[in-house]
Amino acid sequence: MHIPSNIGKSTLLATCIFWTINFSKDFDSDIFLLVFMSIIPICISVTAVIIGTICPIFWLLKKENESNTLFFKKWFPIYTILAFSLCVFGAVVSNLEFYLVSFYITVYITTAQSWVWFAKEK
Amino acid sequence: MKQIIIIISSLLFSTIFYNQNIGLNLSLFSVLSIIVLIIGNSKKLINRITVTYAVLYLLTAILVFFQHTTLSIIANCIAYFTLIGSVSETKSSIFVNWLNGLYTSIAGFFYRNFDFDETKEHPKLKKDIDFFHWIKLIGIPLVFFVFFILLYKNGNSVFNDFISQIDFRFINLQWILFSILGYYLFNNIINPVKVDSATKSDLKTGNTLYKTDTFSVEILKKEIQLGTTLMLCLNVLIIFYLITEVIALNTSLTNNAVTLSNQIHSGINALIASIIIAIIIILYFFRGNINFYKANKTLKNLSFIWIILNATLVILITLKNNDYVTTFGFTYKRIGVYIYLLLTFIGLITTFIKVLKIKNLYFLFRVNTQIAFVLLILLSTINWDCTITKYNINHAQSLDLDYLINLSNKNAVLLNEYKKTKVFSFDKNQAIKKKYKTYIKQLNNRNWQEYTYANFQKNSNYKTLNY
Repeated sequence: MHIPSNIGKSTLLATCIFWTINFSKDFDSDIFLLVFMSIIPICISVTAVIIGTICPIFWLLKKENESNTLFFKKWFPIYTILAFSLCVFGAVVSNLEFYLVSFYITVYITTAQSWVWFAKEK
Repeated sequence: MKQIIIIISSLLFSTIFYNQNIGLNLSLFSVLSIIVLIIGNSKKLINRITVTYAVLYLLTAILVFFQHTTLSIIANCIAYFTLIGSVSETKSSIFVNWLNGLYTSIAGFFYRNFDFDETKEHPKLKKDIDFFHWIKLIGIPLVFFVFFILLYKNGNSVFNDFISQIDFRFINLQWILFSILGYYLFNNIINPVKVDSATKSDLKTGNTLYKTDTFSVEILKKEIQLGTTLMLCLNVLIIFYLITEVIALNTSLTNNAVTLSNQIHSGINALIASIIIAIIIILYFFRGNINFYKANKTLKNLSFIWIILNATLVILITLKNNDYVTTFGFTYKRIGVYIYLLLTFIGLITTFIKVLKIKNLYFLFRVNTQIAFVLLILLSTINWDCTITKYNINHAQSLDLDYLINLSNKNAVLLNEYKKTKVFSFDKNQAIKKKYKTYIKQLNNRNWQEYTYANFQKNSNYKTLNY
């Protein structure tokens, strides 16, 4: 598993999604510096989610001879449905507050794409 | 071709949903989804079951327009998942359809990267996007482009004026993002995918129980002894409980809402516990080889008697609830009790069939989820706020007007009409007046995407706004 490259790609993806959604509401060119700075906390969050939730599934449940594709087909649906449910729950609990909804959308898409990247590794 | 359809659908998606509340748009979305499914899966849709689900989905879409209740919206969403799941695998059970439908809608795009059978095909995985190439391709020219614009702005006042006049505010980025969401959704559903493990396991499992190799007369004898004793005790107990229940029903003279409410709810709690334990015990004893043991007749009969006695308990609590409703009218909780009793009754019948015809646990899940789905659609055909209001106004011996005022605004017209025929306190009069005005205002402020049937009924109510 190429964890660092996956974290790097996921961080970039998450930053793009998060700020695209937020800029769609309120675009302010003065906060570009903040966008760059935000890469640090986003990277920390992405690392925590990938190492804390995706990697353990691969480490604990993947059998030796099992291909990535089969593993993906078996475990990704469960993971993604759970992640989606939690994100929807979080969004509803936050009273659909724009900033938090954008956060949950980012989390959901990034984790799903991170799975795809892991599964495509040879 | 498919891509064009998806793009058109996503633009329509934004047009009907962006910044709008639910109304006509959800009905239109349902029609649009069916069109997309037909285009993407014409062969799979020529199937009796899938066509039935499509018709049910359309029916719920019509209900959303006519009734516009939360229940009709929930029914529409569940019918949507059922239909998508049915297109992905026609023969699977309804709860697997829901799972496949949800999975397709939320993650079809990601799953499609691996949508091939490894044992049959040589996997041709899509190449990963070369991010650095794209960053170089877009980022570097963009940085230089912006840099030179800033440079030239300082060198030429005409150029500076020209650049300053450019205003991109006409582009609505949120609308575009909404279209992307629509694109994602339609791209997911145009070619439904399935949760492989759940679908395969569901297709493999039938409804009937079979005798296993571990058939042992000795073990079964002991189990039957235990089961018979237990069921006998429980039958005696429930008969005694039923007798006391009938006595309580006949001697109860209270007309106090709180007392009646407590009686009903404690009855319901007892019923919940009784039925759940009944079903678990029956399922435990009839989980395997006992079904094929010749000397199981007594246990079977005792189980049937217990199911029938529990059904009798359901009927008794229904009668109690009837008394309650006749005196104090309908509320959502009281209707909920009826629905729960109906579901319980159905659950008992299906358990009865399970034991009688030697079916497995899957059979119970399959039948009960199907019944729950049909029941949900049937219940969503009713506008409960209006039904409760009409019934309580016309039949309840003791009318709780505050409860009716606190319901959604859908009963505002009914209450306003009722207000004209009765004399109420000033506060209640004002509350109804305010509710009615708010309702009419809401109707008038709706965009065409949010229209419901009420928008086409309201003309007669316009005038009354001026009182």
